[in-house]
Amino acid sequence: MGDATVGSAARERVIDLEGVRARQLPNGLRVRVLPERSTPAVSYYTFFQVGSRNERLGLTGISHLFEHMMFNGAAKYGPKEFDRVLEARGGHSNAYTSNDLTAYYEDFAADALETVVDLESDRMRSLRLTDESLEQEREVVKEERRLRTDNSVFGLMEEQLESLVFQAHPYRWPVIGWMEDIERIGRADCEAFFRTYYAPSNAAIYCVGDVDPEATLDLVERAYADIPRGPPPSPVAQGEPPQRGERRARIRFPAQAPALLAGWRGPPARSPDAAILDVLQVCLGVGESSRLRKRLILEEELAVSVTLSWGWRADPGVFFAFAELAPGGSPARAEEAMAEEIELLTRRGVSAKELARARALLRSSALHELSTHHGVAHALGQAEALLGDWREAGKTLAQYAQVTDADVRRVAAEYLHPDRRCVVELEPEGARPRPPRRAGGRRR
Amino acid sequence: MSAPIRLPPIVRERLPNGLGVVVASRPGVPLATARLVFRGGAALEPRGRSGLAHLTALAARRGTARRTGPEIDLLVESLGADVGAGVDEDATHVGLTAPVEALPRCLEVLADIATGPTFPPAEVNRLRRREIAALAHDLDEPSVVADRAMLRAAYGDHPYAHPPEGRARDLANVRRADVLAYHARQYRPGAAFLLVVGPVEVGEALELARRRFGRWRAPEADGVVVPPPSAPPPGVLVVDRPDLTQTQIRVASQGFARRSPDYYAGMVASAVLGGGFTSRLMQAIRVERGLSYGVRSRFATSAAGGLFYVSSFTKIETTAMLVQVAIDEAVRFAEQGPNAEELDRMQNYLCGLHPLSLETHDQVAERLADLAVFGLDESEITGFQDRVRAVDAEACRDVARRYFPGAKPLVVVVGPAKDVAKGLERFGEVRVVPVRAVT
Repeated sequence: MGDATVGSAARERVIDLEGVRARQLPNGLRVRVLPERSTPAVSYYTFFQVGSRNERLGLTGISHLFEHMMFNGAAKYGPKEFDRVLEARGGHSNAYTSNDLTAYYEDFAADALETVVDLESDRMRSLRLTDESLEQEREVVKEERRLRTDNSVFGLMEEQLESLVFQAHPYRWPVIGWMEDIERIGRADCEAFFRTYYAPSNAAIYCVGDVDPEATLDLVERAYADIPRGPPPSPVAQGEPPQRGERRARIRFPAQAPALLAGWRGPPARSPDAAILDVLQVCLGVGESSRLRKRLILEEELAVSVTLSWGWRADPGVFFAFAELAPGGSPARAEEAMAEEIELLTRRGVSAKELARARALLRSSALHELSTHHGVAHALGQAEALLGDWREAGKTLAQYAQVTDADVRRVAAEYLHPDRRCVVELEPEGARPRPPRRAGGRRR
Repeated sequence: MSAPIRLPPIVRERLPNGLGVVVASRPGVPLATARLVFRGGAALEPRGRSGLAHLTALAARRGTARRTGPEIDLLVESLGADVGAGVDEDATHVGLTAPVEALPRCLEVLADIATGPTFPPAEVNRLRRREIAALAHDLDEPSVVADRAMLRAAYGDHPYAHPPEGRARDLANVRRADVLAYHARQYRPGAAFLLVVGPVEVGEALELARRRFGRWRAPEADGVVVPPPSAPPPGVLVVDRPDLTQTQIRVASQGFARRSPDYYAGMVASAVLGGGFTSRLMQAIRVERGLSYGVRSRFATSAAGGLFYVSSFTKIETTAMLVQVAIDEAVRFAEQGPNAEELDRMQNYLCGLHPLSLETHDQVAERLADLAVFGLDESEITGFQDRVRAVDAEACRDVARRYFPGAKPLVVVVGPAKDVAKGLERFGEVRVVPVRAVT
């Protein structure tokens, strides 16, 4: 079964890119359109090649705060108009900012395409930045930071971990920014940011759904052609020093139970090792039969949950392992078991069956992601933003098919080495330690 | 403005043992969704045994007469699938999404889990310990605490008052015998239906269902009828979390059951008040005052009744202000109803997004499961747009008058009591409880 699965995965195209029509306008804007008529709707994504990695200390969080500003009115569609017009045409929009990019989308009934192109080109051409809207969004973003970080156990731990993993690279500060910087960002900062990073030369559009591709390309070209190029963005400094030993931090917080977050600096998305780490992640921590979940949750009850996360980034990403413990549980024992499993995998590798399982789960996950117009548009944009070419979307399955036991061992040894580990431990503050109800029940 | 909805051809069959089978064959990615849905969920748990239905659903996959739990995990995951089990107040779901070629094998596992679980004692005990610990972690999520405190305060003694995950002290009392008894009573073919959605051949899927589930026998039992809940008592509940720098807020009032004739008018009215980015609450709270990152309203509709509520969050010092704005907006809406532009915009919004809620096999399966659980027909999906467009301003105003919170609603706030309780007194009598009281 293993060989058959490998063979079919290597040949399979999970996404049909034959139909993509691509164009680059003279002002640098890249446009990619994929007709797909299964659902009478369209997803329209605009990716700007800017995220927290393009920021500097003192202005951390500007990428994200600016994302909010994009909904506050432009020359043609004034304040409050963007969503009002879109919703009236049966659509909705949202956006997100990451370390590497900022992406905006609209999902809508197919006949609203012209309206959406008009709305998006209007704000790229002539966004109105006012002191009033900046002050209002600043308060909204502060609430968002309180929600996701300051009052969230995981948010606090993640922020701490990134600042351990990176000492020099801009990935060391959170995407939402430090509270003091959110307070400090001014309108002039936003205007400079807009000119550089929101120019068509720094953007790409992905339109997937019930559309005519050539007509859509022409429509987009007519709408955006007059927007001038921007200056080239400054390169991002890459001078991260090597890590020569484990780094640790402890957070005391009035939580009910302890938790543990470990992280290791991985390769950038363009490295062939990124796909190998996907496979390693599934072997270690995706699904009930994965090594860490089986041992820590099922067999030894050292953790209540174990979640692994390996996210591709333009520069070196982070491989995370997060474990929530029972009240009174021992973080030291959970950490020891985690380290043992990683060491075992590094030393002895993974079986052919484990590799086949990982490939099968990764294939289902890719298919799931590509089952909507929205998912396909996003996959194209992410591939181009991180890997330089939208044609890379959906190619990972072929890469997974090539991954061998030796590859997995090599990347585990290289990236998940104990000397490159960073650990954040959450120590519940003020919580009374509670013994487990049954003394003998926690071990087998 | 929005294309009419066409469902894929749906074939239904009732097996001799009473199991309903629903197969929807549709093109798309080569995955298939199979779900076994039982009518009846957390509301059927015996008093003092909350969490039992959830625990039973989780434990069913931890061992059968043919396979151990780890064997089931490995088999299913090696096929590229993941078994999920879940419970809400009205139904129990066990299901998976798998590569379509693995469907026959997965259906066999699903049948094994549903019809022959052995509930190994060590696994039941382990899962119970794990669920109790997970409930402790939930107390660190202010939004989860707010939702649970609201259910409890709103529903009182009604079975909807506890979350499907249960309460820690109840779960601690659950024994394996309770799990066995619950399974015997609720996991019956006569109370269940199997949904298969994806690029499957209908005849083959039906034949598979007959072969895997046809021999399933279980004694029939009387269905338990959940009585309608009474209206939430007005007043203010503060769940004390002295450390928080932001409060979580819920403003609740009585809602209606899923089958209520008020359903569509309620949905449109709530969308105008607190749906989308252009809703009145979003404008008043986020856009005009910068009080919060998000605010929404919704009717939560269950089989026997429901709730209407507004949810949001804000910094400590603006807590009472946010509650006041939410109440004022709800009251103003009940007096005036929506204007023509708002009504038209929200109808277009709801109708335009409707096709996007039916894009994946999982989404279609979920919608079909809802129809079966609530005893509704497919016109709920295909006629959705007509029903939304049939709602007029007067119907919105009427439904708002009857259900939206008035001047003295139920208010639930999670945050530092010493800083917020005083300011909330204007909304009703304030009661302060520690966070542990919520579990």
